[in-house]
Amino acid sequence: MHPAVGGDRASMLAFFRKNQVLLSSCFCLLLSLYILTAAARGQLRRDPVGPLLLWLLRPVEIGAQITIDWFKEMQNSYTTLSGFRGENERLRNRIQQLEVERNRLLEAEATNRRLQQLLEFRSHLPSDSVTASIIGNSASSWFQSCLLDKGSADGVNKGMGVVTPLGVLGQVVSVTGRTAKVLLLTDPSSGIDVLVQRTRARGIVSGSLDYGTILKYVKRSEDVQEGDRLITSGIDGVFPKGLLVGTVIKARKQQLGLFQLIEVTPAVLASRTEEVLVVHPETSQEKN
Amino acid sequence: MILSPTSYVSPMKVSLLFFAIGILLLLLQMTFLHLLPLGPIVPDFILVLCVYWGLHHPSVGAVLGAFMLGYSVDVVSSKILGINAFAMSLVFLIVYLSSRSIWLHHPVVSSLVVLLASLVKGVALVLVSAIFLSVDGLWLGAIRYILLEALVAAVLAPFVFNLLRRGQSFLEKVTVPTE
Repeated sequence: MHPAVGGDRASMLAFFRKNQVLLSSCFCLLLSLYILTAAARGQLRRDPVGPLLLWLLRPVEIGAQITIDWFKEMQNSYTTLSGFRGENERLRNRIQQLEVERNRLLEAEATNRRLQQLLEFRSHLPSDSVTASIIGNSASSWFQSCLLDKGSADGVNKGMGVVTPLGVLGQVVSVTGRTAKVLLLTDPSSGIDVLVQRTRARGIVSGSLDYGTILKYVKRSEDVQEGDRLITSGIDGVFPKGLLVGTVIKARKQQLGLFQLIEVTPAVLASRTEEVLVVHPETSQEKN
Repeated sequence: MILSPTSYVSPMKVSLLFFAIGILLLLLQMTFLHLLPLGPIVPDFILVLCVYWGLHHPSVGAVLGAFMLGYSVDVVSSKILGINAFAMSLVFLIVYLSSRSIWLHHPVVSSLVVLLASLVKGVALVLVSAIFLSVDGLWLGAIRYILLEALVAAVLAPFVFNLLRRGQSFLEKVTVPTE
């Protein structure tokens, strides 16, 4: 080998070694941009890391959720018990036992009531709807999403609607074998085709960072008032027609612009929801 | 004033330790941190970890770790993959470049670096969302979000830095046999 070639190679190696962090950072930036572009175009067919990570996280998340429920229950117990400070120790202990028991029974009763409502609600929906529990929330402030404990192995697929007896929660955006990620209707990148129940005016309900949940693309000429209920139009092929999406809390016409600015309270809050139904798009249309 | 800690542990071990901590923090962010009365803001511990990583242990393992943690956030939260991986890699790169000119390691400095890193991450997320997700009108409310998230992260930074430093010292004690 010519000494000059060996020297070049050595200097190149030295350059790579000296700037390895910088170069690998640039590589990761380019890789993430490639993944982003492929995902945005829908070309990212196989993601080997995501399902593995979700598979690993699922049991821990279920455990954490149980701990949170226990913590909330204890918090409720503490709040309930704080009124009995003046009583003696024996009675306090007795009451504590009874309160814990009562909370357990109330929780069981509430769960029973919720499941009964869900079952009743399910009878109005396609038979292949899947009952699922929320096992995790979004790890980022920028995305409004949650994780379900059911996935493709249970019949949950991408694009399916997620509802509760109270109304619409969101849409499944990705699935693994045993989990599903739901984009909530409060996320700025979500969109649900709705009708104003009173006037049948159409619009899109979506999240926004500045006004919370909003109803978009409603013409200035349309009559929308505070308290108007918004229901699914059924046109998007995701949700059955007539499910409650939210209620108008403020509607105003700005000086400029074609559309009204309408703020909405969602019918379902993910933070207060435990069980949901996942609805199949096509069959939900057939049932209608 | 605290001087930059000298590492006696191999960068690979530190990277593996920090990645494991990152996954734990991800779990925390998905579950228990939602109980905090901060409204829609979830404290971004993963960002603080990546900033610490970039400041004190920049290595190829750290770069990959930051990328993988961002990707993990994408897997559990984002509508499309890659958005947080990009933001986290960008934050790491900027922190790494700036770490060459940061000589003083003080809680206020760490807060300031995390504040700036969080602002960079917020702007990157909004920009990428606007380009790839075509979300209109995102900027209007995003500024409040960016600022709030950055403030929360900056407040938490000294506490998290201290914990990570202690964890690292512990690892050094365990790894290096005393004569």
